[in-house]
Amino acid sequence: MIWGAIVGGFVGTLVLTTVLRAASEFGWTRMDIPFLIGTAITADRVRAKAVGYALHFVFGLLFALVYYTIFAVLDESGLLLGALFGLVHALFASTALVNVLLPVVHPRMGTGFDAAGSAPLLEPPGFLLLNYGRQTPLATVIAHIFYGAIVGGFVAWAG
Amino acid sequence: MIEPTRTDGYAAIRDYAAIGDGRTVALVARDGSIDWLCLPDLDSASVFGALLDADRGGRFALAPEVPYGATRRYLPGTNVLETTFTTATGAVRVTDAMTLPASGFAPYRELVRRVEGVAGCVPLAWQVEPRLQYGSSPARVSSRGGVATVADGRDALAVFSWDAGEATVSDGSVGARFEASEGTVGHLVVSAAHQEPLVYPSRAEVEARLQATAATWRDWSAGREYDGPWRDAVLRSALVLKLLVFAPSGAIAAAPTTSLPEQIGGERNWDYRYSWPRDAAFTLRALLSLGCSSEAHAFFAWLLHASQLTHPKVQVLYRLNGRPEAAERSLALAGYRGSRPVRVGNGAAGQTQLDVYGEVLDAAAEFARFAGTLDRDHAKRLVGIADFVCEIWRERDAGIWETRSEPTHFTQSKMMCFVALDRACALAGQGLLRGDVDRWSRERERIREFVETRCYAEHKRSYTRSADDDALDAALLLGVIARYDDPNSPRLRDTVDAVRRELGRGPLLHRYLDTDGLAGEDGAFVACSFWLVEAYARQGRLDEAAELMDELVALANDVGLYAEEIDAKTSDFLGNFPQGLSHLALINAAGAIAEARR
Repeated sequence: MIWGAIVGGFVGTLVLTTVLRAASEFGWTRMDIPFLIGTAITADRVRAKAVGYALHFVFGLLFALVYYTIFAVLDESGLLLGALFGLVHALFASTALVNVLLPVVHPRMGTGFDAAGSAPLLEPPGFLLLNYGRQTPLATVIAHIFYGAIVGGFVAWAG
Repeated sequence: MIEPTRTDGYAAIRDYAAIGDGRTVALVARDGSIDWLCLPDLDSASVFGALLDADRGGRFALAPEVPYGATRRYLPGTNVLETTFTTATGAVRVTDAMTLPASGFAPYRELVRRVEGVAGCVPLAWQVEPRLQYGSSPARVSSRGGVATVADGRDALAVFSWDAGEATVSDGSVGARFEASEGTVGHLVVSAAHQEPLVYPSRAEVEARLQATAATWRDWSAGREYDGPWRDAVLRSALVLKLLVFAPSGAIAAAPTTSLPEQIGGERNWDYRYSWPRDAAFTLRALLSLGCSSEAHAFFAWLLHASQLTHPKVQVLYRLNGRPEAAERSLALAGYRGSRPVRVGNGAAGQTQLDVYGEVLDAAAEFARFAGTLDRDHAKRLVGIADFVCEIWRERDAGIWETRSEPTHFTQSKMMCFVALDRACALAGQGLLRGDVDRWSRERERIREFVETRCYAEHKRSYTRSADDDALDAALLLGVIARYDDPNSPRLRDTVDAVRRELGRGPLLHRYLDTDGLAGEDGAFVACSFWLVEAYARQGRLDEAAELMDELVALANDVGLYAEEIDAKTSDFLGNFPQGLSHLALINAAGAIAEARR
């Protein structure tokens, strides 16, 4: 059921956001996904956070639909398979997504080609997001495994 | 022009100036070194802490490489500092500011140093040695894509330079040498992040933010309503207070530093990066007299919000975010000129200080006079506090000076309990509080009887430091200021004279000469000296007040700032710096004279 993916995507994003926020509070990482997303849209910090949270939930739902599609193709779903998807998702997010794709669409994201030049830039995340703290990959992987397991669990539960 | 000097690597406290952004404050020495900066907030761990450990604390040095003299000032009406270094070959002007977030995409916190050649050619060197977590975090500065960066857990900072030499990153620092010739402008920037990626600022935006920051301060200063005597000193004090207002909560820090010693080499080293409800009434009076109604409103709301967690008890101090924890511990730092321990946290938080209740209710009365009303929830809380005072005023306490000896019956504490119930009765009389007014009134008179029978020494013709004692205490001046009685009552008038006679050292006053449970002695207390001015003014002794005020204003440092204490013999500053209470007392003293003259 697609509704399982939508609900799972929402709950999963909620948990993912909470886990990453907690990791930030504990000093494991400086990664702030809503801030990263929001500052692609606006330079106003407050609006960036608000827009970033909203878009983060939209992306969470879209990724859940991608998971759902793959579950449908495999004709199988569940907590463990979802968790595995989450792991792959985390690795993709922390390598290709934020290092290759995000700088392309993010007007303020620094790349190796930028000097501190004409426009203010956001510190690039680096391989496995390590620039944002050494525990960042671990926090990211854990958060996404939770996300994947929740989406997989809801899809399986919804039949 | 003064040639800056250091003793064992430490600048004199008097040689510092403060810059800040309403979240944190940096101290800049006359020799151009930024020796104190906590990030992201004023009560966070230091990034530059050379103030407390010249070798391991970390600093941002910037100075000519040849002998020089330095003059400095704040840009008029601002907290933007301008230092001019003059050498045999030329002169260079350094403008320092913590920028204020304007529109646009600014770093989480940003420290800007603008270096402008004004004459000839001056060889300069700068070096940033960040030492996160009070120097306990490994000092690894790395170059990431050409940007010097240091990170630890939630915090990171990056250093940028433009037209200020070719920066070289070594393991623990980044720096460069360059020449500033007439007409050239260089920029040095520290961009700090907390729980988010670093923002890399552009040079154009840095310059724009620096200009906007100065303009914002000027606008704020232009809005101050004070037009009485000593206007420059009052305005500078207002700007210092504004630096100490923690904008995210409205709390006002007592000072931006910890463990600057009250005695060089001694143990009287405290963390003042907290907000003291005790200062509430002084603060509100000062803010309202300057037309800072939004700051006054925010502070009063913060005060009652913070104390909600401990209601009806009002804790001695709270964190700037309103939380009550302030566990005290010592850091492994050498201390300012060997003054150990270096403390963070403040054990006074757990003390009982009865005077706090008088200050809070006096502040409430002050606020009600301004606002014409009291919020219903606030009123209920104030009733609870007044009832609590009725229960506890008979207890011994640690007193306003937070002595660490055995609790005793401090006279000023009892006077302020009287003030608490007196103001509660007055507010009830105005229909703003609903409580057991008969009980408040009854207990108020019992306190009066206690003070008049046990806290006055006929042979000294003065109220005394504590019950059945004959030592004096400058805090007794608050009996005049807080209107424990008619300021011209014979006993208060005699007490003011006795305090000056026994505790005065030139224009300055010591707090007391008695023991307080700690080794060593402290200096003269700046706030007490201004309280004496205010007491004179409240008693109509305007010539004495004005003469003393002139002398005290002359004791500020070159940019108009005061520490907590001054050594009466050497005029050296002692204690945390800049000290909010000193500046509050200056504002209120000037205001009292102006009011009396009207």
